[in-house]
Amino acid sequence: MAKNKEIEWERWVANAEKNPDKEAIIHWIAGEEPFRWTFSSIIKAAESFAVGLKKRGVQRGDVCATVIRHNKYFYPLYLGISSIGAIPSVLAYPNPRLHPDKFRQGIEGMSKRSGLDWILTEKSLSEIIEPLITEKSSTIKGIFFPLDWEKDLKFEGQELENIQQVRANIQDSDPVLLQHSSGTTGLQKPVLLSHKAVLDHVTNYGKAIDLTSEDKIVSWLPLYHDMGLIAAFHLPLTFGIPVIQIDTFEWIMIPSLLFEAISKEKGTLTWLPNFAYNILADKVHEDELEGISLESMRMFINCSEPVRDKSHKLFYKRYKKYGVTQEALCACYAMAETTFAVTQTPPNKKVEVLCVKRQSIAKGVIELNGENENSRVCVSSGRAIDGCNVRIVDENGNNLNEGRVGEIVISSVSLFDGYRNYPEKTAAVLKDNWYYSGDYGFCLDGEYYIIGRKKDIIIVAGNNVYPEDVEDLVSHVKGVTPGRVVAFGEDDEELGSEQISVAAETKITDKEEHKKLKLEIIKAGMSDDLNIKKVYLVPPRWLIKSSAGKPSRKANKDRLVVKKEIIKWS
Amino acid sequence: MITEKFKRTILDELNLDDFDIEDDTTADQVPGWDSLNHINVILAVEKAFNVHFKGIEVLRCKNIGALQNLVNTKLEQKQ
Repeated sequence: MAKNKEIEWERWVANAEKNPDKEAIIHWIAGEEPFRWTFSSIIKAAESFAVGLKKRGVQRGDVCATVIRHNKYFYPLYLGISSIGAIPSVLAYPNPRLHPDKFRQGIEGMSKRSGLDWILTEKSLSEIIEPLITEKSSTIKGIFFPLDWEKDLKFEGQELENIQQVRANIQDSDPVLLQHSSGTTGLQKPVLLSHKAVLDHVTNYGKAIDLTSEDKIVSWLPLYHDMGLIAAFHLPLTFGIPVIQIDTFEWIMIPSLLFEAISKEKGTLTWLPNFAYNILADKVHEDELEGISLESMRMFINCSEPVRDKSHKLFYKRYKKYGVTQEALCACYAMAETTFAVTQTPPNKKVEVLCVKRQSIAKGVIELNGENENSRVCVSSGRAIDGCNVRIVDENGNNLNEGRVGEIVISSVSLFDGYRNYPEKTAAVLKDNWYYSGDYGFCLDGEYYIIGRKKDIIIVAGNNVYPEDVEDLVSHVKGVTPGRVVAFGEDDEELGSEQISVAAETKITDKEEHKKLKLEIIKAGMSDDLNIKKVYLVPPRWLIKSSAGKPSRKANKDRLVVKKEIIKWS
Repeated sequence: MITEKFKRTILDELNLDDFDIEDDTTADQVPGWDSLNHINVILAVEKAFNVHFKGIEVLRCKNIGALQNLVNTKLEQKQ
């Protein structure tokens, strides 16, 4: 078959040939000297992993799921998988609070849905994962522990000829990666992206942020999330610039690590979900900032959850003396289905902020207002990047003019080809090559503002949580009436994000027993790594049903959070 | 050994009425003590005992008993 255009591996190799000694990935560890991969050393290490994978039977097109903690060998392993035409899929390493059965069920669900072929992990997880391989319905062919593999292997002789042939046959339309959206077994959506989608995205998004060879990205984002994987991994590797990778777990423990890395390495770009601005503004001790300079930063890009003007203001107030400018506080609207970015605010320009009459939003028309309690502050996510077209549509899919609120639909040269093995979900969101995002927003003067969601997804610190998952868990808690539970997101202004709240019906009336039941509900959430922040217990038949006959999340949230109805126990 | 004041500080921060905390209890075993709440718990402990931790010191605490020991060490250093 004739070779069709470039693939990611070729670009990475070309970068290594052009700038062999340029730093590619700086692997950051708190309190230690970082490990530094150059573009040539990471390719060499990737080649060794590729030999190991081929030797163990991994074939072109196989899905290789990685479940590995912050480790310097993760990066060349990922590249090695891609280099043989297999498809890397980064999965989250299980949090200790996640019950092993739940973790196993998650992997099993993904295996059935997206057809995982191999699991590449650490030995500590072997006992949990291995039973899956022997199951009849499992697609998983084997489990590997690549961190223990020999590190200096090379393809030689016939093997070299074979792998050259494999690489020559990989097409730019072939999948380069598989991402899983959050959610449990029934709800995960596997997004498959091609080499072309990612390469085009790097070109188009790079242009939108004026990316140059002098840039340096600093990130603590997890690589199982599209923002981490695309913006802070594929983008720098493909463009040929360094990225500093901080452990997500260490960052949440020591948020000032981000600034330490920026200051020492003279970082220029970082992507952050909104809650991170609040954490950095409010929860870092002044003495941890001694000697820190943030002057090198061109852009702090707010993405993955609704952008809040207040969070930007808090952050700017605290860090302007360290060199942060208002023009460096940028925003982006992105999703895995479009590879990553759809819109982006420009560098070196203060983000547009509008005060809109709340009542007008409810009517679907944008009327500007002064900054007062009847206004909602809306932050721009910028203009559509090259290669992307955005429309705002009504419920019938008709285009709406500027200043009208509707659903955001997107066409992009980097659009995914559909959810893997999930035609019904694909058909629900992809129509005539337009992706129906389920987000509500409006356009004004060419800039897009995202103001809400059609779906009931709760976004906690940049992670999507499906209320169905929470409701299912809580329904099984003894004392809760099965099926009589709603979960919804409740605004946490201090955190700059949403938190999970639950309203559950129970026949129990004793107040002491209520305390115990609330604790059991929180514990049930913990077993699935979901932190239920608030529990509302309500008596039988309290929850209002929707027209579909299920308890309505919106109506019941309104009663509890907005109207603050008093719950009476007779 | 976990003191009552130390335990109460943690439980209050997490809005828990009661939960048994021993030396070898780890954060992930305490309801509500997730990654997002971690920093709030640490700040609440610092405030309650008027001490100050370095991020790396907290990172090295393997369980809640180790965090209690860190508090004790800080208090001794103040005297």
